[in-house]
Amino acid sequence: MRTKANTWTARALIGASVLFILVMLALPLAMILSEALHAGWSAYWKAISDSYTLKAAHLTLTATAAAVVLNAVFGLAAAWAITRFEFPGKRLLTTIIDIPFAVSPVIAGLVFILTFGRLGWMNPILTAYDIKIVFATPGIVIATVFITFPFVAREIIPVLEARGNDEEQAAALMGAGFFTIFRKITFPHIRWALLYSVILCTARAMGEFGAVSVVSGHLRGKTNTLPLHVEILYNEYQFTAAFAVASLLAAAAIVILVARNIVEYMVKKEDGGHVR
Amino acid sequence: MYVELRGINKHFGAYQASRDVSFGIEEGNLAALLGPSGSGKTTILRMIAGLESPDSGDIFIDGARVNDLPSSKRGIGFVFQNYALFRYMTVFDNIGFGLSVQKTPRAELAARVEELLRLIGMEGMERRYPAQLSGGQKQRVAFARALAPNPRLLLLDEPFAAIDAKVRQGLRSWLRGMISRLGLTSIFVTHDQAEAIEVADEIIVTNAGRVEQKGRPVELYKSPATPFVARFVGDSAPIGDIGRLKGFDGADADVSGVVSGAIRPEFIKIFAPGESVQCESAVEAAVVESVIFRGDALEVSLILKDTRLSARYPLEKETIAAGQKIRALVYCLYAFEGGRTRLLHNACLGRQHDAYSYSI
Amino acid sequence: MKSLSRFFSFFLALATFFAASLFPATFVPAAELELTNVSYDPTRELYESFNKAFQKHYKAKTGKNISVVQSHGGSSKQARAVIEGNAADVVTLALAYDITAIEKAGLIKAGWQKSFPNNSSPYTSTIVFLVRKGNPKNLKDWGDLIRDGVGIITPNPKTSGGARWNYLAAWAWAHRQYKGDEKAVKDFIAKLFKRVLVLDTGARGSTNTFVQNGQGDVLLAWENEAYLALKEQKGKFEIVTPGLSILAEPPVAIVDSVVDKRGSREAATEYLHYLYSDEGQRIAGQNFYRPSNPVIAKEFGDRFDLKVNLVTVDDPIFGGWNKVQSVHFNDGGVFDQIYTR
Repeated sequence: MRTKANTWTARALIGASVLFILVMLALPLAMILSEALHAGWSAYWKAISDSYTLKAAHLTLTATAAAVVLNAVFGLAAAWAITRFEFPGKRLLTTIIDIPFAVSPVIAGLVFILTFGRLGWMNPILTAYDIKIVFATPGIVIATVFITFPFVAREIIPVLEARGNDEEQAAALMGAGFFTIFRKITFPHIRWALLYSVILCTARAMGEFGAVSVVSGHLRGKTNTLPLHVEILYNEYQFTAAFAVASLLAAAAIVILVARNIVEYMVKKEDGGHVR
Repeated sequence: MYVELRGINKHFGAYQASRDVSFGIEEGNLAALLGPSGSGKTTILRMIAGLESPDSGDIFIDGARVNDLPSSKRGIGFVFQNYALFRYMTVFDNIGFGLSVQKTPRAELAARVEELLRLIGMEGMERRYPAQLSGGQKQRVAFARALAPNPRLLLLDEPFAAIDAKVRQGLRSWLRGMISRLGLTSIFVTHDQAEAIEVADEIIVTNAGRVEQKGRPVELYKSPATPFVARFVGDSAPIGDIGRLKGFDGADADVSGVVSGAIRPEFIKIFAPGESVQCESAVEAAVVESVIFRGDALEVSLILKDTRLSARYPLEKETIAAGQKIRALVYCLYAFEGGRTRLLHNACLGRQHDAYSYSI
Repeated sequence: MKSLSRFFSFFLALATFFAASLFPATFVPAAELELTNVSYDPTRELYESFNKAFQKHYKAKTGKNISVVQSHGGSSKQARAVIEGNAADVVTLALAYDITAIEKAGLIKAGWQKSFPNNSSPYTSTIVFLVRKGNPKNLKDWGDLIRDGVGIITPNPKTSGGARWNYLAAWAWAHRQYKGDEKAVKDFIAKLFKRVLVLDTGARGSTNTFVQNGQGDVLLAWENEAYLALKEQKGKFEIVTPGLSILAEPPVAIVDSVVDKRGSREAATEYLHYLYSDEGQRIAGQNFYRPSNPVIAKEFGDRFDLKVNLVTVDDPIFGGWNKVQSVHFNDGGVFDQIYTR
């Protein structure tokens, strides 16, 4: 039951939150838009439809899609293994999953260079098969996957742990196989957490700068993501264009949030209100 | 024996959950695994179900050894303690789950689910979700779900633990009636001895991983094989040295050394001052500690020779109050010697009397 | 389950999209010829124009289509990236030392600087001061920069080629000013860097800090950067050429191991040669680089102060890039000592 905010403390807290949101979110968003449209709609359109921008957008989407898919699969598998089984190295796995959060993205990028670069220890294998990882698209994908690694697992593990596996045991006892159990029993329970983590993953992947910058090589039209492209435009004094491209990222963020709300609504509706 | 366990041992880490457990249950019987928390009863149930594997020993169902058979192939219906209903499925889908896993054709599945819904008295509720059901309804759905695939053995893990006291009574009778009707061999686990006594055809009492006694409820009550069973099944008050009581002290009592025992409330009769008593020589003086109204009689807690005992006193007689001095006669008691229990009668009454022929 | 199938189809679509787009990047070779030019920070506009011109020229000469992929960043950072595996057909960096580093890594053959005219520097530049309009702090020469209250913007010599030229220019002036007194020179440099407000990693970053963010009173900049800033922000800034400055010779080179592997040597050589052509030299001049061709350079006489006193890196006070790097810019070198003081 929520009480009305009629105490001084409540008002102060609410006021502080609103102020924070205004300054940190609303104002920058408004600024991006106003700067982007500074020179009018045609300039804006030109900046967005520029071929380098489109290629950067394509690369960003690719890396994001890969990160989401791979991390969803791995995150689910890891969460399942960690909460349902005992095995040697379980603690280690849980710690490893958290590493991307603890490590600076730039360091992560450097590690990839050290591993897959020309002087890296994997170089002989890579040159033998003529595979390019860093300074090419795969490197960017790997960097993005690494950065968003923990999101899915971390969201799903607590949900699985909190619930216990009685229902799954009951189903197994009646002869249900792994996929049936996962599909009918586990998945409906975690789908909200999964969706939320996918949202986080997408948002983070799209905005990643540090790690990608290190492994990118900044080859225009080839290894620049949208954030990197924004930096390039800014460095070329093309401020309006930079903000125009930045507005693309901002628009993507808004779309993601709206999509999340829609699906959340539909999940509630479908369940008849019994999400948990 | 339809279900048989031979020499089962199980430990979890350093903790021994089952020690040399052996018993058999006849077909069509409703057996209760009764014991305090941690006595190993749930472990036994889960091993029969196949949810745990014994370290050693064999489990037989209908003559076949099932140790190596996975749970789903043992023909078992299991009702979990917290029902474990599939919360994202309707009642219909829950009940029909086992059949859908077996790829039963839809029409047949629907018919069976309807049949079970009628059986549990929940027709019309098939579209509901578990969150919309009361505790008792959930229990019945869990029951129906376990029954749907026509199991040959029904296992229930503390099925009434999560239910309100009032509802529990009705549900117990209902379950008892259902199972009898279906003639399904069933085993349920409980720590509530009153429940076990009321519902089961036979009871297996567990304690610290061992089976203490197996028998019909009346047998366990009247002839407890071990001190634990005597104390656990039915009410009783412990006594440290039975030789201190008149009628149990002499050579007639056939007891050597200090022997402890237990006295059920019905073994004691309380006499108001002035009332005439058979066997005056064995009457003891006692003080009433407290009196509690139990609906159909008074439960009297009295101190007799520094021992607290519990007895019943009829309502029709004049009431007695706390602090009152009364006289009590202990007709018989259980004596615990060398891990066995003997029912001893007060020497002054002679041995031929059956303890239970004394009315209150 | 409706939502489940929705999820799966969403994932499936993503996975297909990802797989489909990944394919061309790694396995399918480019349909047309492609050269990768890894360059340093301020040359963006230069190569944007030059590449267009080169494409036309190459098509006219060989009938083939060619495209050039550019990469820009701090010179040393770019050199390191090439060493780490960023496959460049040609490198056009800020100082010979950075290209020598690539040579030492085995990617470029020794003697590369002789491959093209003028020590492989098709254009040169120098270091000037960019000040605010009206020069309010009246900064005319290096000595004025260490006055109290002067805020200097320069990139970090450890990462930026341009910053190293800045440092050397300041050093050269101080050496003349204090008549070779090493301690006095070091003092001067120390004072200079104490007045630095922000140390960006690259020349363009510093330019932005000065121009966009409005920080500092003077920007130590490549001449071409300074002119570019003037062009972008008309009427806001002025260029002050100091009495003594350094001749910055940003060289170019073919990365042998890459062109041999890709078979692009012919195209790469043509590319770099074109920088020396009349058109290439004019494009350089138009982008505020001093053409190495003296005839074309005269055409830009109104723009560049062709008479400014310039010291080169091979001057005895410096002794060439190798010596400069080990004495001044390596870990523990003079710059580190000065900057931590």
